[in-house]
Amino acid sequence: MRRRWRRPRCGRRSKTMLDLPAVKSQIDAMVLQERAGQLDFQQKLALALAEHERWAEQWEGLSVKIERSRTSWLLPTGLSEPFNRVYPLPPRPAILSVAATDGSQIYPDRHEIAGCFLINIGYILLPYGTGQRPLLSSKPTLFYREEEVYEQWGGRRILVNRELVGFKRGLMELTELAELSLAAQEEGHRVVALSDGTLILWSLEGKPQDFKEEYLAAALAAFERLRQGRIPLAGYISRPGSQELVNALKLGLCPLAAADCDRCPWKPDSPPSAERARWQGRGLPCGGVEGVSDAVLLRQVLKPGERSPVYQSSSRILEEYGPHHVCFFYLHAGPEIARIEVPAWVAEDGELLDLVHACAYDQAQKGQGYPVSLSEAHERAVVRSADRESFYRFLEETFVKNDIRGGISTKSLKKRYAGV
Amino acid sequence: MSKTQEYLRRRPLGRFLADDAAVLPVAPAARPAHVGEVVESSTTELIAEACQLHGAPPFGRFVRVEFEAPIIAIVYNVFTHSIEPNRRPTAYGKTEAELRLEQPQIFELLRTEFQALVVGYRDEYGPAPILPPQPARIHSFVYLCEDEEVAEFTQSDEYLRSILGAAKVPTDELLVATLRHALRARGGEGAYLVEMGKELSRLLRDDYDRLSSILRRIAR
Repeated sequence: MRRRWRRPRCGRRSKTMLDLPAVKSQIDAMVLQERAGQLDFQQKLALALAEHERWAEQWEGLSVKIERSRTSWLLPTGLSEPFNRVYPLPPRPAILSVAATDGSQIYPDRHEIAGCFLINIGYILLPYGTGQRPLLSSKPTLFYREEEVYEQWGGRRILVNRELVGFKRGLMELTELAELSLAAQEEGHRVVALSDGTLILWSLEGKPQDFKEEYLAAALAAFERLRQGRIPLAGYISRPGSQELVNALKLGLCPLAAADCDRCPWKPDSPPSAERARWQGRGLPCGGVEGVSDAVLLRQVLKPGERSPVYQSSSRILEEYGPHHVCFFYLHAGPEIARIEVPAWVAEDGELLDLVHACAYDQAQKGQGYPVSLSEAHERAVVRSADRESFYRFLEETFVKNDIRGGISTKSLKKRYAGV
Repeated sequence: MSKTQEYLRRRPLGRFLADDAAVLPVAPAARPAHVGEVVESSTTELIAEACQLHGAPPFGRFVRVEFEAPIIAIVYNVFTHSIEPNRRPTAYGKTEAELRLEQPQIFELLRTEFQALVVGYRDEYGPAPILPPQPARIHSFVYLCEDEEVAEFTQSDEYLRSILGAAKVPTDELLVATLRHALRARGGEGAYLVEMGKELSRLLRDDYDRLSSILRRIAR
């Protein structure tokens, strides 16, 4: 048999890839630091657990302190029950449908042939207990018109950029989820609407007022339509890094009756005070639990299927949410603690809250740790880099066939055909 | 507006449905529905996607591909797989009925396909046990052959030669299954079995053990 000629494997490998040996020493240094951090972290976690236990009984006192204090970190509000209360998993109704959406995009690229962008939304409706055929689909929308590619906010006309496309996609995920859920309800489904990630549009903070108002109004209109249809909406956050509960414990550690971080007497740059003179410990008095996240703490408290009490989030943007003020609870979803966010009208309705609790856990079980509806929505929505390439090549061919002038930048050309 | 569009417009969920899910609920047609659609095609064989999951025609069954001169083929391999190349099915420890109620999405992610060996075609003069001049077109529908069609095509014993001469098919098993289908299409007529047995004994005269194993299994 003839043997194929092979390139001899000698000498150094291609230099175009990441130089791993060069990163190695930096990784070693990182590992050393992590190891030291872990020891410290165990002590912090132990303190957080002890504090969690301590405030379980005196939660009302802590609630008052939260109301009175002014901190530089987010605190849970609307405490109405002991911290350490756990809710067992309620049964899921035998017949139930879960709606979910996810989005993906091709960002505008000024190096490509035309200044347009694409948003692809994945739609999922999984009916349980009936044997009905599920709905799994995706619909792409191409934005190319002048008024779509340029937007005017805060008196400035700007070419749509990655950030704006991200906002548009996030908004479409929400509005389309509401439409899908309502259509399913109209066809007789009992629906729970599941959204990927947070319901708190905190990234709108600091955006031009007209932009913020318009986006928020559209999102809240979707929330309102779901409320009118009494379809519970929940945002599922995997591996949450939030620390609101731990922040409450941090506040509990503060020796003052009402904390005011701006005038913290223990800060090194504060004027000398009697408090600081008495303080024996390292760092700030509240630093003992710094770095512990709510999920890590509750991993020690909750058992699979159980949830924490419901808390109100205090993000500033929520002041404009009205009846849709976002509340949250933590759920032991099996492999991880998930954060589930719901609008206030779901949190206040025991039946809807139980439905969300049961459904979120069931979804995670069905998806081996992560809600099956959300992962399927992602699978439908995702635009991979190969798809992106095909899209631009298809666009290019169509332009050429129709004799339309367009040009790619030399940078883009060079990326495609890098010579030696 | 087409009927499908009209149907989709009327359904609240219409705008969210994937195109392949927009199947109209229709009354059973006078003509039997197709069982598959050609997705790969060559002169000697074809691959078709079954309309229903696990709904491929049985192994050894004669099928017809609609074409100007319909193509006759024999199913020689059926396989079910995930439609996503990077997603493999995993065990759930549940029965299919339970999975249909509680994990309905997995059945949307699986496809059944079947491979068929092209053995001839039909033209205005009747069945021809010759490879067709052109392969089946991609996306053409695949139908099960009716008993009369099978009886007509298997009147001549040429299909036995086609099977024996084909590469990459489980030859003996396919001979057994095909002959059993041909026999059934004739209501189990003994004389036909004797006639085909004689032809097989000519074709396999240098391998008596193989021949007798085939004949035993056909008559079983």
